[in-house]
Amino acid sequence: MSPLIELVGITKDYGAFRALSDVHLQILPGCTGLLGPNGAGKSTLIKVLLGLVHCTAGHGHVLGIPLGTHATAIRSQVGYMPEDDCYIHGLSGIETMQLAARLTGMQSTEAIRRSHEILDFCGAGQERYRSVETYSTGMRQKLRFAMAIVHDPALLILDEPTSGLDPEERVAMLNRIRILTRDFGKTVLLCTHILPDVQSVCSRVVILAAGQVRISDSLEQLSRLPSPALFVHFAGSAERFHAALRQYNLASHISGPQQMQIAGTAEDHSNLIWQAAAVSDCTIRGLVPSRNSLEQIFLDAVGQVQHAHS
Amino acid sequence: MPIHDPGYRTWQGPVAPLATRWMVIAEVGIRRAWLSSWLRRMMFFAWLPACVMGFMVLLYEQTSANDPSAGRTMLGLSRMLIDPRSAASSSFTDVRTALERRDQSPESERHLFWSALLTTLFRRSQPFILIPMLGIIVPPLISQDFRSRAFLLYFSRPITRLHYILGKAACVMFFLASVTLAPALLLFAAAVLLSPSLSVLASTWDLSLRIVAASLTIMIPCTCLSLMLSSLASESRYASFAWFAIWIFGELAWTTASRSAAVGSNVVISCLSLFRVFSDVTAWILDPRLVMDDIQTRLVLLAALSAVSLAVLFRRVSAPMQI
Repeated sequence: MSPLIELVGITKDYGAFRALSDVHLQILPGCTGLLGPNGAGKSTLIKVLLGLVHCTAGHGHVLGIPLGTHATAIRSQVGYMPEDDCYIHGLSGIETMQLAARLTGMQSTEAIRRSHEILDFCGAGQERYRSVETYSTGMRQKLRFAMAIVHDPALLILDEPTSGLDPEERVAMLNRIRILTRDFGKTVLLCTHILPDVQSVCSRVVILAAGQVRISDSLEQLSRLPSPALFVHFAGSAERFHAALRQYNLASHISGPQQMQIAGTAEDHSNLIWQAAAVSDCTIRGLVPSRNSLEQIFLDAVGQVQHAHS
Repeated sequence: MPIHDPGYRTWQGPVAPLATRWMVIAEVGIRRAWLSSWLRRMMFFAWLPACVMGFMVLLYEQTSANDPSAGRTMLGLSRMLIDPRSAASSSFTDVRTALERRDQSPESERHLFWSALLTTLFRRSQPFILIPMLGIIVPPLISQDFRSRAFLLYFSRPITRLHYILGKAACVMFFLASVTLAPALLLFAAAVLLSPSLSVLASTWDLSLRIVAASLTIMIPCTCLSLMLSSLASESRYASFAWFAIWIFGELAWTTASRSAAVGSNVVISCLSLFRVFSDVTAWILDPRLVMDDIQTRLVLLAALSAVSLAVLFRRVSAPMQI
């Protein structure tokens, strides 16, 4: 798979402040999560991708179009959903959509038709005829998402698409992203602080910290532990179970209430674990290969940077 | 929910050229501004002087030079439009002269009469409409985009700062043209059609070009200045206040300064009031006989005002992206 976004040595300075530092990045087709703490450079990276700011050093391309000189060509193929609450004063939802469509070059009547079609897809009802100022947070999110996809872009950059949404709307929004990625081959760059959202829809993740790419890999690869381990969910006395495992020479530690992490693979040790459970009078409710959580991966990546700075 | 929900569908269709995107911004701006009932009222009043002048042209062209009642009516209407004691009193004198001599040299007096009417339109009536009109429609144009962060919606689309500014400027120019260029050109067209023969065009054709030049002289600096003020504040009322302050305090400064100096001989004092500068320059453009000292200074002032305003405007529009 050839990358849709490729950045080589991108550096961006705002005066004396370095927002991005020697960023090398490849975004492959599919859904990629862009994570990072506040001030990590995510917004600057998005602005560089959209050609809204020029990078101080480095080069790259988005959808095969070189950065810098062809910003409008890039933006005509990219849909961007900003995080900030932004709207055009005095316009209704459908008028705002129509404006967004026409700014990407659609003819007037086609823009109206397409706007209705996309608002239907986004689950917007009759409120589309109301002024945007009267919209709830959730409705504004939907509208911004609808504006991002109205011109059927190949690449979607979504900045916090689920923030401020109720659980039902959040699931619906993630479903829409999933549909666009899976059924229509869109490439999505999902920038969010909500890690379960990334785990839910993304196949790859990029973690940015202090203006540098700390991690860029598939979630599958990242969630693997350096040494294999098993995660056991059990019912019974943790101390007795732990002691029984020690008798069978199995290294283990209690990772939570009724939870135990045991070194090794299921093929080698599952029989011994069952025996230890029987001896200690515990019931095993779950036995799965242990994986790194995205939260842990994120904290490790950000922690390394903080440690280096201190 | 829709009756038939086809879900997401891909889209492929003709795309308008990039160079035309500013028109979309202009169209939206015009439609939003037109929602103001104040603007619609102003537009109605903006056309009244041109209608009165059209009636004067009708009388001039369709009545005999010896008809005393027609002459009296035209002079009365002129007095209503032009204060004979004001700085624009030369237009009133021109109208009276044209009426007195129209049977002796109809061609030259016709030109004098028409240009006097047009000068009156540009110097006397339209500024009092366009200043409050721009004070209502322009301040929210950019400042509201800053406040509601709408620039993210614009600039994440395939448009540039130039398209954005061009679109906003076109919106302002549309309304400015509707109260300056359009009534003046229509008055000229009406005058040609009401005259005895289309051959009058041979002696008056230059007026149409003068109208365009005078209109542009007003439209370009006013558009640049008002948009710059709008871009300087995120609260449109501050931009509105600054707009009116420029005109009012300029005029007050001119009045105060002119009491202690001979205005005609001091171009610096004349330049204190933007209103006077526009008035002098449009009169100079529309009246071919008018010789005005230091007109270059006023023209340079307007050009500099436009250039500086544009430079600030470009800088302000790109500022939110640099954060």
